[in-house]
Amino acid sequence: MDPAEKTTLTLLRDFFLARSGQDLAPACMVLAGDSPAAARIGRTDWDEAEFAFNRLFVGPMALQAPPYASAYLETEPRLMGESTLKIRRIYEMAGLSSPLQGRLPDDHIGVELDAALGLSNMAQTLDAEEPRVLWRYFLHEHLSAWLPQFIDRARRAEAGHPAVDLALDHLETWLNRQQSKEEGKIQ
Amino acid sequence: MTLWKKNDIETAMECPMTRRRFMKWLAAAGVAAAMPCGFLVPNETKAGIVYEGGYETFRNACPRNCYDTCSMVTYVKDGVAQFVEGAPESTFTNGGLCVKGNAYIRKQYSPDRIKYPMAQQGRGSGNWKRISWDEALTRISEKFIEINEKDESMLGLALTKYSGNFGITNYGVEGMFSSLGYTTRMVGTPCWPAGIDAQNYDMGNMWCNDPEDMVDARYIILWGVNPAWCSVHTMKYIYEARQRGAKVVCIDPVLTQTAAKADEYWQINTSEDGALALGMARHILDRGLVDQDWVAANSVGFGEFADYLKQEVTLEWAAEKSGVPARRIARVAEEFATADPATIWIGYGMQRHVNGGASVRAIDALVAMTGNVGKAGGGARYGHLMTWGFNYHAMIQQPPKGAKGFLGPTAKGEFDFTKDAEGPAYTNRTLNINKTARELLNATDPPVRALWVSCKNPLSQDFDRNQLEKAFKKMELVVVVDQFFNQTVEQADIVLPVTTLFEEWTVNVGYWHYWLSINEQAVKPLHEAKSNIEIAAALSKKMNELKPGSCTFPTDIDTKEWVAKEFNKGVYDLFGINSWEDLKNGPKKAKANRLAWADGKFGTPSGKYEFRSDLCAEHGFNALPKYVEGRKPYDKLRLLTPHTQFGLHSQFINLDWMEDFNPRPYVYIHPETARVRNIADGDRVLVKNKTGEVTITASLTDNVPVDAILMYEAWFKNNPYNCQNLVDDTSADMGGYKAGAPGVAIHDQFADLVKA
Repeated sequence: MDPAEKTTLTLLRDFFLARSGQDLAPACMVLAGDSPAAARIGRTDWDEAEFAFNRLFVGPMALQAPPYASAYLETEPRLMGESTLKIRRIYEMAGLSSPLQGRLPDDHIGVELDAALGLSNMAQTLDAEEPRVLWRYFLHEHLSAWLPQFIDRARRAEAGHPAVDLALDHLETWLNRQQSKEEGKIQ
Repeated sequence: MTLWKKNDIETAMECPMTRRRFMKWLAAAGVAAAMPCGFLVPNETKAGIVYEGGYETFRNACPRNCYDTCSMVTYVKDGVAQFVEGAPESTFTNGGLCVKGNAYIRKQYSPDRIKYPMAQQGRGSGNWKRISWDEALTRISEKFIEINEKDESMLGLALTKYSGNFGITNYGVEGMFSSLGYTTRMVGTPCWPAGIDAQNYDMGNMWCNDPEDMVDARYIILWGVNPAWCSVHTMKYIYEARQRGAKVVCIDPVLTQTAAKADEYWQINTSEDGALALGMARHILDRGLVDQDWVAANSVGFGEFADYLKQEVTLEWAAEKSGVPARRIARVAEEFATADPATIWIGYGMQRHVNGGASVRAIDALVAMTGNVGKAGGGARYGHLMTWGFNYHAMIQQPPKGAKGFLGPTAKGEFDFTKDAEGPAYTNRTLNINKTARELLNATDPPVRALWVSCKNPLSQDFDRNQLEKAFKKMELVVVVDQFFNQTVEQADIVLPVTTLFEEWTVNVGYWHYWLSINEQAVKPLHEAKSNIEIAAALSKKMNELKPGSCTFPTDIDTKEWVAKEFNKGVYDLFGINSWEDLKNGPKKAKANRLAWADGKFGTPSGKYEFRSDLCAEHGFNALPKYVEGRKPYDKLRLLTPHTQFGLHSQFINLDWMEDFNPRPYVYIHPETARVRNIADGDRVLVKNKTGEVTITASLTDNVPVDAILMYEAWFKNNPYNCQNLVDDTSADMGGYKAGAPGVAIHDQFADLVKA
């Protein structure tokens, strides 16, 4: 992953772990950069963006696009499913764990994007096969299995917002780029 | 060098040993430096969580308002509740759960749970902001302090709470309110108060036999109760009794699942239960089948009751009123009187009428005159609170020094076991929970300014929905504590996420069976949920921070210790345990009190069964269990809104497993009723009456009477359906004596419908 992609990933992580509109704003501003979307993002009412973000991903209403992998990967969507625990074990195999283990599901999108940063960096910088295998597995077998569904659901949801669309577009682009890199799926 | 493949990674995710082998790479230097994570941290735990198929088990108890109050075992792995079972140690739960209990894991881990404290900008707007607990409690505390300064009391702060979580420590919500000062409380119950008072007039208490002794019954009448849906664990005793030769009769306006399983079913005219019982009583009297010995030894007023029956009741009259043919009434009356023992289970639905208490008294009399009170396998079964002798430590809190409150008459609910203060003193202001809408609107001096809702979903459960919306609009602050977004949360300013049964310590008993269960915390609370007593402690801390001395609730509590504080010697002796921790080995059944009135010592003023209750007359009703007319119809069809199979009041129905079977609400209409209105199965119809309207899909069935329509009481996710749009707050006759306020005539509602 090049530095720009890492920056994108960091911003997306911050976006999805945001607690308020004020947290969403800086991530979106940088993501928009000099793109045609920048002017519109600059005029965003961040309260409105937060309301939409909460309808989609936080609550208290039934979520329009749950930001948890297990809501897409389990036969019967739920939190803390077997697929969540598998991701916890991937973290463990990389020497990582969530400080909110047992409270925030390990497969919340914000946590997973943080893990993607860590795993990809380890794969790039360490002279070991394991982190490279882990990163490729995480990317191709896990993120690729649910993020497209998540992005699609969030885009089709009633509670859309340009700031959310911006993040979803960047997430999709980032994922596509990672998937298309030379080092493909592991066997 | 090992070449790890995809299969290896997947094996390592499943197998601790392979995982440990994989993780050897972590010993290499420089790993920590390569972690640019902002959230995840280096894993402190050692490799390999060694469950390998093993589970930790925890004791839980279903805390819903249900006859069965199931003792549960929860299987936990990796800190996640995996599945639940009924506790095998309880002969009542007997290792099995109902459809709702088995869905608990779906409730616990639903993506839709309320996760964080949140504040809504404009009630009903759907514009929610996530806030921290500190911010939520600051905003709430500031409002409470403002109320206190404005009114010089906390009476402007009201609590509405009922049975959403019956775990005993959840009475800490009431405790939290007491610790803030004298406040306004919604008191009473929509559930069972008319019947409670009726049984108190007749016998001096509401007290039923252990349901497990129904196997000994030789005749069982299930009167307005549907255990096949609402108490599935009792069905096995009914079946066993039948195997041993008992006859099972079901009386209900609706052909329920229970009715379908009975030997005989009577589709009674709704609210004519009293007439039917009195007709049976008259026939028993005429046939000389009264248990004269029992009546002489154990009762007062039977002669007057017999005179009343002879003068004013006939079999034919009872048949006409009830819609049950006289010959069938006569036959079943004779069978009931000659079976030994015979029992009647009196359901709560049949007393939700303007004559409900009177009807229960008539049925009690039928059981008593046949000598079936005080017998194993007999009895007029309604419910009991004989096992509820806890300390109510969480509930009993003192107001702050100098707190001012209400001076005037107040009421106490049936679960309020606190003792009255001696001498004249300030008290809470009590408002009738069954008239919540008008009480909140009409309260003055001071008005109700802030409302705290916990263990309750008033906008789905309370009556006259349109008025209730107005009452909510009048509030300056609405705080709702809940697990899911429902129609009440929709009208909140602040919502606080509360723990599930798996996430908190508490203790539970039933009001039907005699089992006691501990509820252990099995997993960490998900997201930012807190238990009700943790919320109380946190609020107290914030109140005292902002205004020292403004709240007496302890600010630092250990919830497990608070469970221990609920126990006393009386509870230990009753259940034959030495410590509450014994319950970790399984639920325990009461050693005594399971046979109601066996010693013939009744709790009435006379100490006898009172066919004539002067106390009842003092309270403005008939001294004798006389017939009382039902509510006069005010529209063409009776509207019934009973409990659904797939929920408990407004809980569970939103879960995916329930939605699979019960995805939307219907109004159930008799085909003839539909035909004359040109309504076909599946049509959208408008149900309307003087209170409001509901647009809903029609389902045609001859399970409901031709003169009635039925829609289940329910809350569906993402669906505006609300049967309370059509239910007014007319009171039942009784309930004010023991439950704090009269019941409500839920099934004395009327409406008509047209194709939408």
